[in-house]
Amino acid sequence: MGGVDVGGGGGKGKRKSLDSEINMIPMIDLLMVTISFLLITAVWTHMARINADAQVPGPPRPDVEQEKTEPEKQLHVEMTAEDKFVLVWKQGATTVDSIDVPRKDDVNMQGAVEVVRYPDLAAKIESEWKAKGQHSNPTDRKLDQAILHTDNKTEFKYIIGVIDAVYQTHREIQNGPKTEKLPAFNITFAVN
Amino acid sequence: MPIQAPTRRLIHHVGLEFVRKKVTGGGHRATNAGLSLTSMIDFLVVTVVFLLMTFSASGETPIAKGLNMPKAENTLDMIDAPMCAVVGSQILVDGGQAGNTRPIEESDRMQRIDELFNILKSKRELWKQTHPNKDFPGVVLLQIDQNVKAVVVKSVFQTAAFAGFPNVSFMVNNLPKSHT
Repeated sequence: MGGVDVGGGGGKGKRKSLDSEINMIPMIDLLMVTISFLLITAVWTHMARINADAQVPGPPRPDVEQEKTEPEKQLHVEMTAEDKFVLVWKQGATTVDSIDVPRKDDVNMQGAVEVVRYPDLAAKIESEWKAKGQHSNPTDRKLDQAILHTDNKTEFKYIIGVIDAVYQTHREIQNGPKTEKLPAFNITFAVN
Repeated sequence: MPIQAPTRRLIHHVGLEFVRKKVTGGGHRATNAGLSLTSMIDFLVVTVVFLLMTFSASGETPIAKGLNMPKAENTLDMIDAPMCAVVGSQILVDGGQAGNTRPIEESDRMQRIDELFNILKSKRELWKQTHPNKDFPGVVLLQIDQNVKAVVVKSVFQTAAFAGFPNVSFMVNNLPKSHT
């Protein structure tokens, strides 16, 4: 029982059949045990993370002479107004450009979680980075810096929505022989 | 090997004729039904392949009870790092009490959380003692409820940075990508 005959009925007289029956029971047992193990150890909720860099300056080194370099352009994302985002490109203290993006909260309920998305903001940030981003060469491993300005009362889900929109802009970065697609920006919070 | 018409593969080799007749029905409808193993094995193999593809070797990340984390699309894979959770008004580091958010909410001002600072600093020093020849990665994972106010998020973020953990990661639930 539980075997599969792979033929061999055509032999003459007493000639020994070349084909033999494969016992399927151990194979089915193995599959059943594997399924049980995988079902028991399965993780159905997939957690992930969104990175942010605090940009803490290192301790001063009086023995090392500091080179004066031109400050890089940084994208400031202001979400303090209720009806718009303001994207400001700054180089040091100098404002290079300022763009208003109408704020449209795309909120969906998924179970107990409210998913907040800003597709218009993501598209605008991508086009801005393509026009003004400083690190787009695949061999350049440095990322452009985005700084998030928010008021104290904003809820965390809206902050994650904006960070997610900033990280939607991807660029190619060479990692050894292969190139990877990674977020074009590194994000941090403004101290205010 | 000659081509044979598909027939029943099981039981046909039963040696005793009266037993074979009994189990195959003996001209009547058989009491024992034949089971097609092919479809069953196909099903089992497909199930095993699906479960293997969705298998996660990193295991399940412990999540604080009563916490609704936000969802995001553009995420990174999880890593092993100290876990700081903000649940209600409590701040927990790896499950242990590490401060309270009430003073921050009442003052509505960003401030350093001393208890959290001391715990993270001691964790950093312990790591450096146990890994003397390695660079400290400075990564901390923040589990924060979706409705927590920004002033609390920024206070925890800045406290972690001052304690020597500048690479802060916010834990989120992964959303499938909607764009190409």
